[in-house]
Amino acid sequence: MRVWVIALVMLLAVPARADDEQVEQHTMRFIEKGDHLTISTGALAKLFDSKAYRALSSGFTSTVVIRIWIYPKDSSKPVAFVLVRRSVVYDVWDEAFDLQLDEPTGRKRVREKRQADALKRLTSIELLPVALLAKITVKQIYALAMHVELNPVSKETLAEVRRWLSQGTGGGLDRGGAFFGSFVSVFVNPKIPAADRVLKIRSQPFYRPGP
Amino acid sequence: MHRLLSLGLLAATVRVAYAQPDPIPVGPELPTEEPQPEPEPEPAAEGPSDEFGPLLLIERIEIGGNTATQDEIIERALPITVGDVLRASDKRLADARFKILALGYFREVTLAMQKGSARGKVILRVDVVERGTIVLNRLWFGTTTLSPYWFGADLTERNLFGLGVAIGGGIVYASHGNVDGSRNQWAGELRAADASLLGTRLGLNGALTLVHGSEAYRVAGDDTDPGAGELLAFPYRRFGGRTNLTYDVTALTRLSASMRIEAIKADLPVAPTRMLPDGRIVAIDLHLEPDNSTVTTIGFTYDRDTRPDPILPHSGYHIGFSAELGAAFSDYQFATLFGRYEHYWGLFDDKHAIAIKLAAGVVVGDAPRFDRIHVADVDRMLTPRALGLVLSAAEPLDILGTRSDKPTYGDLGGSATVEYAIQLWRGKGRNRVYGGDAFFGVGLWGLAETADLRARDASLGSSLPLDIYIDAGVRLDTDIGIFELTVANGLGRLR
Repeated sequence: MRVWVIALVMLLAVPARADDEQVEQHTMRFIEKGDHLTISTGALAKLFDSKAYRALSSGFTSTVVIRIWIYPKDSSKPVAFVLVRRSVVYDVWDEAFDLQLDEPTGRKRVREKRQADALKRLTSIELLPVALLAKITVKQIYALAMHVELNPVSKETLAEVRRWLSQGTGGGLDRGGAFFGSFVSVFVNPKIPAADRVLKIRSQPFYRPGP
Repeated sequence: MHRLLSLGLLAATVRVAYAQPDPIPVGPELPTEEPQPEPEPEPAAEGPSDEFGPLLLIERIEIGGNTATQDEIIERALPITVGDVLRASDKRLADARFKILALGYFREVTLAMQKGSARGKVILRVDVVERGTIVLNRLWFGTTTLSPYWFGADLTERNLFGLGVAIGGGIVYASHGNVDGSRNQWAGELRAADASLLGTRLGLNGALTLVHGSEAYRVAGDDTDPGAGELLAFPYRRFGGRTNLTYDVTALTRLSASMRIEAIKADLPVAPTRMLPDGRIVAIDLHLEPDNSTVTTIGFTYDRDTRPDPILPHSGYHIGFSAELGAAFSDYQFATLFGRYEHYWGLFDDKHAIAIKLAAGVVVGDAPRFDRIHVADVDRMLTPRALGLVLSAAEPLDILGTRSDKPTYGDLGGSATVEYAIQLWRGKGRNRVYGGDAFFGVGLWGLAETADLRARDASLGSSLPLDIYIDAGVRLDTDIGIFELTVANGLGRLR
């Protein structure tokens, strides 16, 4: 019977491949501004589905974490890295959205009255500094990789949420064998993802033209 | 959804400040792996200065959607309570949803705030979707020479009457083969557990076990002879219970203290002996008192598990120690010490993982047979014991050609495994499967009786009962449970 159950599960598993996160290609704008290379893109607009959009007004914090790497073509060693963290919480009494934006240029706190504006603050990337120009060699070809998470969950929290799976409910007389053994269980098994949504984005190749 | 959305890209109007080099093809020639970042400057640990948003007073907590689980169980799990004053971005609020999910009783948890009776006061609304909490912990079935067929199951209801109390049990039945003195075996166990007494970090669990079994032992022939003709068996009966008091030091670390009382009745042969292949006859110690005897022990366990995913682990570690001491009023004066350590390292952007798994145990003194380390505890390619019943007399595969007469029970044993896992896929469970890994592992195991090592007629190296085991297979994490399909598991049901 168990073999049949496993075969069934494996059969069901085949279409699950499509559920995996894929790296997407996006065309971005690269602009020099002062000493920095900046980017602009609308790639984050689909980070929020309707449920995540509704959750913005729940009174609980929603957080977007953006990691950006720039690396030379044919290399996986980045020459620049930027971390952006944007959070929003709805003030149920003032009926306004308080945002905290941690960007390469520093921390900013702003307030928006409209939910759509708060969403725009969270997801827009306009002239975001991503590297010092000194790090970008002229005529060398580069690409940009971006990893975006909505409400990422720490590994400690993930471990805590699933800890009951490995804890069991105590043992009987046969503890020695159980101590060495592994387990296989059948039950309704909900699992929380490491983030509500993850986008993996890659830019088109680009280079910095000479003077 | 994710994929559909990714197709619905913003058709961004691209104003190219940097010329896109032509004819450089896009994509294929770029590194296929995510770039490995230099150590990245994570945001500073959240502290009071990181908190923003309005200051709130929790006026009331409303709970909905729970038809079986009592409100009190959910309220206890929340890291906040009525009367607390905190910022809207407080970490306790962010953690609240996960604390409720960690109970394991709910499929979904949604939190929202509403205006309270006065400015600054809020009502915290918690909506849950309950799920089935019956767990099928184990299925036993298989066939061996010693037991032509066996079957059984172990179930737990994790949230009895919505009280947060778990109750469960298992039963296994095994028919007897042609070994003289053997009989049909069966065992049953009942368990109850409350992981959080009155919402505190203290928990209590207990189990009652009844075993009606028979143990086979070799009286002649070579250890590698799988036939039943040179085995005899004696009947025994065990009845006892264990109770554990647990304390959650942190969410990931648990200490427990236990007490066990067990009565054993064994109809032992008067003077069991074995004729060795060279014709010598030696006495056998079956490590049991004849007729009725009692085992009482006290124990202590430490357990810490930091693996974010205990089913398909690619990072973190799991460490555990367990010590048990034969206490007063026991006919057996002994101590056992078990330890295990597993550590997982993610490779290639966590799509692969390598792990080391170490497990070892030592038994000191006059331990009853059932408390000693069985060869199937350390060699995964053998039939594991089920609720204490031994279901196979098969000898381990002699792969290294080391000492052939490896003991069935020992007082010093362990295993060391290196395992490599490759992610087959990961998903969000939309297609009922969260993920799957293929894995391959190779391990060294050993089991010895220290008396054998002291009195030996060969070098220590050739006297050490060491060997290797190999295992490979697939692990699946699905929304109906966890499945492991492995070579060793298959062998353990047929030998």
